Amino acid sequence: MIGKRWKTGLLSIGTATLLAGGMLYAQLRSGSYGSRNAASMPQEPVPEFSADGKYDAGSYPSFTPELAAGDGKLEVQSFCATCHSTRYIIMQPPLPRATWDAEVNKMIKVYGAPIPEATAKRITAYLQEHYAPENRKE
Amino acid sequence: MERETHAVSRRSALKFFGAAGGTLALANWTHATRATAASPDDAKPLESFTGPSANPHWNSVGPYVVEPQKAPLILLTDRPVQLETPRHYFRTVFTPNEAFYVRWHLAEIPNAVHLTEWKLRIEGNVNKPLAFSLSDLLQKFKPASVAAVNQCSGNSRSRLQPRVPGGQWGNGAMGNALWTGVRLRELLDAAGVKSGSLQVQFEGLDTGAGPKGFGSSRFQKSLDLANSVIDETIVAYLMNGEALPMLNGFPVRLVVPGYFATYWTKSLSWIRVLDTPDDNFWMKTAYRIPDTPRGTTTPEDLKGGKVKTIPIERMPVRSFLVSPDGSSKIPAGLGVTLSGIAFSGYGNVVKVEVSDNGGSHWHAAELGEDHGPYSFRGWQTSWTPKTPGKYVIATRATDEKGNVQPDEPVWNAGGYLWNRIEKQELVAGSANGGER
Repeated sequence: MIGKRWKTGLLSIGTATLLAGGMLYAQLRSGSYGSRNAASMPQEPVPEFSADGKYDAGSYPSFTPELAAGDGKLEVQSFCATCHSTRYIIMQPPLPRATWDAEVNKMIKVYGAPIPEATAKRITAYLQEHYAPENRKE
Repeated sequence: MERETHAVSRRSALKFFGAAGGTLALANWTHATRATAASPDDAKPLESFTGPSANPHWNSVGPYVVEPQKAPLILLTDRPVQLETPRHYFRTVFTPNEAFYVRWHLAEIPNAVHLTEWKLRIEGNVNKPLAFSLSDLLQKFKPASVAAVNQCSGNSRSRLQPRVPGGQWGNGAMGNALWTGVRLRELLDAAGVKSGSLQVQFEGLDTGAGPKGFGSSRFQKSLDLANSVIDETIVAYLMNGEALPMLNGFPVRLVVPGYFATYWTKSLSWIRVLDTPDDNFWMKTAYRIPDTPRGTTTPEDLKGGKVKTIPIERMPVRSFLVSPDGSSKIPAGLGVTLSGIAFSGYGNVVKVEVSDNGGSHWHAAELGEDHGPYSFRGWQTSWTPKTPGKYVIATRATDEKGNVQPDEPVWNAGGYLWNRIEKQELVAGSANGGER
C-alpha cells in the first residue's frame, strides 16, 4: 500500500514538473541567436575641415559587384563602364534578348557610345547569355 | 478513491506525455521550430534582383550603402549615384535630408564646390546677363519657402508588367522637404527676359563622359516661360532649414512644386533664357510620356508606332501605408494605428481612404496637418483586426481636382507615372489563451 502511494506521489510530481516545463516551452522561444551573420557596415570617420570656401563631400564609394563569368565580360567592363558602373546591368530585371539588343543599340545611337560593331555584338551576346529571364542567376 | 485516482493519473500521465511530446515538436523549442519553419530567421534572404514578374517589395532589393552626408540607403547604382529611401523614413511628413533619395544621370557629379568661385549664371536671351554667388542669393533677395514633394519620374518602375529597363525603383524615389531660396521669377526679372523668349533652360554641375552633343555629356531641362509653374519655382539653398547635401544638389537646386523631379536641376549653375524650343535629348527624347489618359499604353501600340508623346510634367495622386509595414505580426484584438502619406502634383490631397479587405470597402482616414498643396499629407486611422488571419490593407487618395487613385496599372516605355492603389498584407495572429 505504502509503496503504491509512493509510486502515485512520484508520478504526480513528475507529471506536474513536465506539465510546467511543457507550458514554459509552449509560451516562448528563447536564447536563439541563429547561424546567419548579420549584415553590417563599418562606420564612417568624420572628415577634417578648414574654414575656407571649399565644400568637399569626399569621394563617392564604389559598390560594383562581380559580373557573371563568360565571353564578352571584358568588353562589357571596358566599354559600358566608360559612362556608368556595371552595376547598371545587374540592377535591371532579367530582360528579354530583344531588349538587351535595343539597350546596346540605344547606348551607341542615342548616347553616342563609340563601340565598334563587332564588340557591340559580343557585348549584346554576353548580356543575352547571362541576364535574360531564362538564364539569369545572380 | 485512491485506486480511481491512481488509474486516472496513470492514464492522464500517458496522455500528457503524448501531448508534451507533441508540444515540443510543434512549437517552441528551437530545434523543433527550425523543423517547422515558423521562425522569421529561417526565412530566405532577400533576393538580389526581381523580375521578370513585378517587384513584390515596397522598396527595391539592393543592399544598404553609406554615401557621404547620408544615412544608410538602398543602392541602385554607385556611378552615377542612385539611392532609394527606405520605407520607415516616411513615418515623418518631412523626409530627413540624410535619408532623401538620390538620382543623378551623368557620372561626373560634384564631390566639392568652391563657393568662392561658384556662381549661378543667368544668361541667354536676357537684357543683362548676371552671375550670383551664394551670398548674393542670400543677401540680395527675399527668401521664399515651399513644402514640396520631389519624386523621380520612374518611382515604382519595378512594378511595371512587362518590366522596362531603367532604374528599378521601389516606392522610395521620393521625399518631401521644406525648400527655401530665391524665386526664379525674381532672378529672371533681374536679368530682364527679352521679348520673343520661349523657354528657360536649367543646367547643373554634372557632366558625363559621352561625346559632345549627346545626352550622355550634359543634362539640361527646360520649362516654358508661359507656364504658371515658373512663378512657383524656387532656387533653393535650404532643404528642411539646412544646406543641401552634396548628393541632393549643393549649393542650390531648382524646386518646381508639383512637377516630377526631372525638372528639379541639382547643383543648378546655369539659367538660360531661350528663344527657340529646347530640343536637347533630355527634352526631345527622354522623360516623355504617351499622350493618353494616365500616360498609359501597351507594348503592342508602342511597336505599332501609334504612340504620340509629350514631356512628363505633374505628378499623379498617390498614397502609401508606411506603418505597420508587414514585417511583424499583429495580435488579433489589439488595436494598431495605420499611418502613411499622400500627395498629388495637382494640389491638396482632400481624402485618403483605407480598406482592410483589399479595396472592397473603404473608410476615410484622418488627415494630418496641411503643409500646403505640394507637400506630403500625413494620414492615420486606428484599426483592430478582430480575428486572426491575413488582411490586405489598401489606401486610396483623392486630390482637390477630384483625381482618385485607380486600381489599374500603368505601362509606358519609360516606366513613368505609376500611381496604382498600393496594397500591403498584414497578418493578425491569435491572442486566444488555451487555443492550440
